[in-house]
Amino acid sequence: MSAPFSRRDVMLAGASLLAVGAFARVAYAQAGGLFRIGSLCPVSGAGSPYGSGMQKAIEIAVAEVNAAGGAGGSKIELFSEDSQTKPDAAVLAAKKLIEVNKVQAVVGTWSSGVTLAVMPLTDAAGLIEMNTSGAPAISTIDKKDLVWRFQATNDRFGQAFAVIAEKRGFKRPATMAFNNASGIGNAEGFKKAWESKGGKIVASVVYEPNRPSYRTELQQVLAAKPDVIVTGSYLPDSTIILREWYQSGEQTKWIMPGWAANPDLVKALGNEVVEGLISVDSVSNESAASYKHYEAAYQAAMGKGAASNVYAAMCYDMIVCLALAKEAAGPGANVEKINAKIREVANPDGTKVFSFAEGKKLLGEKKKINYEGASGKLDFDSFGDVTPDFGVYVIEKGQLVRRDVVSI
Amino acid sequence: MNLVDFANLLINGTVEGLLIALPALALTLVMGVARFPNAATGDFMTIAAYAGIGAQSLGSGAFAAAASGSLGAGIAVSVLSYLLVFRALRGRPPVASLVASIGIAFFTRSMLTLFTGHDQRTYAVPLVRAWNFDGVRLLPTDLVIAAVALVAMALLFALLHLTPIGRQMRAIADNPDLARACGIRSSRVLVTLWAVVGVLCALGGTMFGVKAVVSPDMGWELLIPAFAAMIVGGIGSPIGAVVGGVLLGVASELSVPLVGPSYKIAVAFVLLLLVLLLRPRGLFGQTASVR
Repeated sequence: MSAPFSRRDVMLAGASLLAVGAFARVAYAQAGGLFRIGSLCPVSGAGSPYGSGMQKAIEIAVAEVNAAGGAGGSKIELFSEDSQTKPDAAVLAAKKLIEVNKVQAVVGTWSSGVTLAVMPLTDAAGLIEMNTSGAPAISTIDKKDLVWRFQATNDRFGQAFAVIAEKRGFKRPATMAFNNASGIGNAEGFKKAWESKGGKIVASVVYEPNRPSYRTELQQVLAAKPDVIVTGSYLPDSTIILREWYQSGEQTKWIMPGWAANPDLVKALGNEVVEGLISVDSVSNESAASYKHYEAAYQAAMGKGAASNVYAAMCYDMIVCLALAKEAAGPGANVEKINAKIREVANPDGTKVFSFAEGKKLLGEKKKINYEGASGKLDFDSFGDVTPDFGVYVIEKGQLVRRDVVSI
Repeated sequence: MNLVDFANLLINGTVEGLLIALPALALTLVMGVARFPNAATGDFMTIAAYAGIGAQSLGSGAFAAAASGSLGAGIAVSVLSYLLVFRALRGRPPVASLVASIGIAFFTRSMLTLFTGHDQRTYAVPLVRAWNFDGVRLLPTDLVIAAVALVAMALLFALLHLTPIGRQMRAIADNPDLARACGIRSSRVLVTLWAVVGVLCALGGTMFGVKAVVSPDMGWELLIPAFAAMIVGGIGSPIGAVVGGVLLGVASELSVPLVGPSYKIAVAFVLLLLVLLLRPRGLFGQTASVR
């Protein structure tokens, strides 16, 4: 009996599978009379719990800027696209924003995969990119200093994990990291910070996505008898890992990033499994006037509190920062000039301001300003990254209860 | 590595391998009888897994509801694909059916995400602690998964080798023209084949969903391991698909102490390369195929 398929056919089959999904190149964009901004939020896909709120926050900020008479003599025109939390869809949407809508900035990208895929386009076109992604690589790939990050890097998350682990008296931490820039970034950041405190990591594992089981990886980590396992993980893999850990009957504590240890994780596993798990997420600038003002607007627009979506506050700040920079750069300024003003309006030394209107007034009086955002102090370092505070949430009876706030 | 670790790895590898063996069987059956690689196999699993979760929530959490919902959806999507698409492409080069199957895969997945979104789902199964035999951990759910997979495989082999329809299937696989000349009505046989494929996909999807989580991309991600299992075992050979799946699962798990978990998947593919180099037909390519 002959084989139903020649090897050539199988090769062809493989090749055609691989051929699905290739991308085209980039073109240029130019400035129009209005200040055109494109938003690229994760309205659908894995980021969908946050995306519509992020987009709404952007709309709120745009309305505020325009109500205050616009920035640098021009009103903001907003174009909104959905990144679908998928790099390929985001690239298509970004191309449309850049080539058809001629935007001068793309704001609101959420996952690191999306931001890393969109960056080459905005970079080639010389546009500003503002994101809420964590991958450390974003800082170093951005050679022209056009990329601004409103979320803590994964490295900083790792540092926060180390502070928390130390505070809670853990002695033998182990790490488990999802094999991508974000997951490894978390684990490496923790390792660096922990070892600089003189501690030792007892075991570390990098695991692959989309596996039916992580028992082997767990077995490796648990063999070192850790008292806490620190992860750089996402929701699906965390679900599987925690279920298998619980079934194994081991007693360890967990510290996880907030995008993995969220109410969906509790829903998937039940209260008993996740009891006592520590979830860490960046927190908004809750005591600042800018946050209170933003929170009221968000509550009115979305019908729910702003605390459940830290990314929305970041998106709100993106527009305010951009508008203040445009105002400082003056009428007719090009993207490069606007970009050069971002640190000037947000970093220390100037008078603290808490809204666009306030900042615009002081800029009109030729004063230096320092915008204190709703999402954080917004002091950009040389990479265009910020350092927010971190909230420590402990899962108790199925609820995420905030127990502490740490600064790094 | 001591004996306890070794035993645990062996158990993990076997269970994962049996899980992969179900879609690998579905692939290899289509390969042997209908003669093309069905790239929609993974998405049949996804659809069935979602249908199972839907049926479970409708049937007030009963797992029987989940199982029947999943089986019904698996058979429906598989047989419909044949009736609406693959039947029209019979007699064309296999690449036509392959490309069509990729199309079906994309179509079903997009339809699914349109209605369910991208959020992960989980089956409501009670969590039980593993039985601990001096460090060797055995999960009751894993035992159930292995038992379901083994029973399904036994039934499939009984169907192929003990029933008239199975004999006809093997006859068509061997020589379609001769089978027709002998009066075998291939349309009836092929509908049965696709129904069996649907059952295998439904079982695979549900078992995977119980063990891991259900997401729109889960089936598509399983396609490559299933392909590898089929090729190692020998294309068109059911026993080969099972042995291939378990072999790849066990090999990748046992390699973890040597190469670490990041590279265990690579080890599976090195094994695949070795098999192809030393025995291009696959382990059971010639001797024990369906035909």
